[in-house]
Amino acid sequence: MRSHTPAWLRWGGFTLLMLVMIALPFMNEAFRVNQFIKWMCLAVAAAGLNLLTGYNGQISVGHGALYGLGAYTSALIVVHSTMPMLLTIIVAAVVCFAAGVLIGVPALRIRGLYLALVTLAVAVLFPAIIEQFSSLTGGRSGLSMSVPQADCPRGRAECPIRWEPPIDGLAEDQWRYFIVLAITVAVFVLTANVVRSRVGRSLVAIRDNEIAADTSGINVSRTKIITFGLSAAVAGIGGAMLALLNGNPRVNPGSFELLVSIYLLVAVVVGGPATIIGPAIGAAIYGIFTDVIAPELPGNFENATPVILGVLLVVQMLIAPNGIAGQFKDLQAHIAARRNASGEGPGDGEGESGNAGARQEIANPGGTPT
Amino acid sequence: MTDFLQVVVVGLGNGAVYAMLGLGLVVIYRSTGLLNFAQGELAMFSTFIVWTIWNAGVPMWLAVIGGMAGGFLIGTLLHQVAVSPIGDPHEKPLAVVIVTIGLFLALNGAAQLIWGTVDRRLEPLFGLDQVTIGGVAIQWQKIGAGLVLAALVAAFSLLFQKTKVGLAMRAVASNSESAGLCGVPVPRILMLGWGLAAATGTLAGVFTAPQVGLGTNLMQLTLIFGFAAITLGGFDSVAGAVIGGLVVGVLSSVVPQYVSVFERMPLAPALILILAVLLFRPEGLFGSKQVNRV
Repeated sequence: MRSHTPAWLRWGGFTLLMLVMIALPFMNEAFRVNQFIKWMCLAVAAAGLNLLTGYNGQISVGHGALYGLGAYTSALIVVHSTMPMLLTIIVAAVVCFAAGVLIGVPALRIRGLYLALVTLAVAVLFPAIIEQFSSLTGGRSGLSMSVPQADCPRGRAECPIRWEPPIDGLAEDQWRYFIVLAITVAVFVLTANVVRSRVGRSLVAIRDNEIAADTSGINVSRTKIITFGLSAAVAGIGGAMLALLNGNPRVNPGSFELLVSIYLLVAVVVGGPATIIGPAIGAAIYGIFTDVIAPELPGNFENATPVILGVLLVVQMLIAPNGIAGQFKDLQAHIAARRNASGEGPGDGEGESGNAGARQEIANPGGTPT
Repeated sequence: MTDFLQVVVVGLGNGAVYAMLGLGLVVIYRSTGLLNFAQGELAMFSTFIVWTIWNAGVPMWLAVIGGMAGGFLIGTLLHQVAVSPIGDPHEKPLAVVIVTIGLFLALNGAAQLIWGTVDRRLEPLFGLDQVTIGGVAIQWQKIGAGLVLAALVAAFSLLFQKTKVGLAMRAVASNSESAGLCGVPVPRILMLGWGLAAATGTLAGVFTAPQVGLGTNLMQLTLIFGFAAITLGGFDSVAGAVIGGLVVGVLSSVVPQYVSVFERMPLAPALILILAVLLFRPEGLFGSKQVNRV
């Protein structure tokens, strides 16, 4: 996983991104800030899916269910106990890790298209499970999160969860935004570290050639199961944040239908599978499409988003399967190869650029497992 | 006992519909080796075409034929534009999943754009009447589904076994490269496969719509049941799709009736079935075993 990005560009880009992210809630209205929060939750869940599908090559069309499991875990704990709300996000991650491991075990024997099929069924099943256990989950109409509070005028039901900003002058939505931003950055840094570690390299090795990875001493089964668990845990964190912090103290099964699973996959694939920042780019593009562009479209065409996204997805898969971040990486590798080639003597140039081409292949094996 | 038989009969009727969708999936899997996640949405889209024609005052059976023709055209078109450029599906499973899911989204969205989000009412092809045999009420619609399924199986068997086109399809499925070298127009055969699958799906949609209302999520559940059917029967077996469909239909009708946990999720037994089959007998009951070379 050698990167061609120079250190100054990497850190400069990161700082700039952070500055923009910090400035955003001060430059936008509350409803927009709430939309940003939703995008970040989606980005976190997509980052989880990316670990599994992008890096490890196990295709899941069911991460919307894990996203929902995280949301419902947090919501149920908040309703039924006095645990601090942020702590419930960690519990949600643990519960989702366990669920991921549970799905990961059968996934050892099911791969490729068939795994996609099984996870698809899980995605369709999830809302039905929520409705089946309606006495606990509130069924189709959803579960509203309210907590007993001392100053609550009319009892429990009237007192939805709130996030009190610790600093004067910071609005409630802005405070929620910063909590979500902090967790999101932490998750992305964490996944970046996992990917660059020994574990991360074995993920890619398994994706590219399972038998070769096995012969090289990687414990394939264990790694695949742990990846599934980790990926689920990250998706669960996204879901838990969505439930607690999106400004509407209510979760309902409609937010975790099959389409959500599909949009997560869209975010990963459009942004760039097997890249760190890809899922964030994908989630932002999805968000801009649905929340910014779609409402501006005239009349009937407001519903055109799925069509546009669908067509975009097909076109992109056919012409640029590595996604946006992947294309950028390819470009950088190309430039680096050029520079290397021109640095050597003219007679050596040919062989050197061929070598660089091979390195590009390794640096970016692309989103499509081969 | 009568109650049980009643539930079984309902299940068989549903199963016939799952088998129809499953047949389409099998035809595509046989010729191209891919699982088409857009199959259900294709069926939904062409069922809307049936509704549009029927709504304009055309008799139902004629509308169904029109819808099948429309489905055939859309299926072939989508294959040419989106699916065939991917290349070998076995080498790029992610690309296949993404492209067919892209088609899923596009078709679903397009249907919403054209026909709106309000459910439409489609008249049952075989009317609302029912016959009672030994205390068990059977709707003509269910019997009709069984007959249509039988006709489809007969047609597909004839096509595959007795015609030159069917022979070409089998050749492509068995080894597309060699088939191409022998002069079989491989791309056109694959295109035909997609068209036939879409036309078959239309029938599944026409039988599903009167039960659940014709909306854009018409076939999402049916698709999973169809997948369960062909997983059980074997991804490449026509007979498997039929038997698998009927078994899945009966299971998902009987189990929720007697096991209260599954009361509101008839899908759960289907999912468990898919998992169990893939884990313990991945080739299904009638499918051919896959061998991977290292």
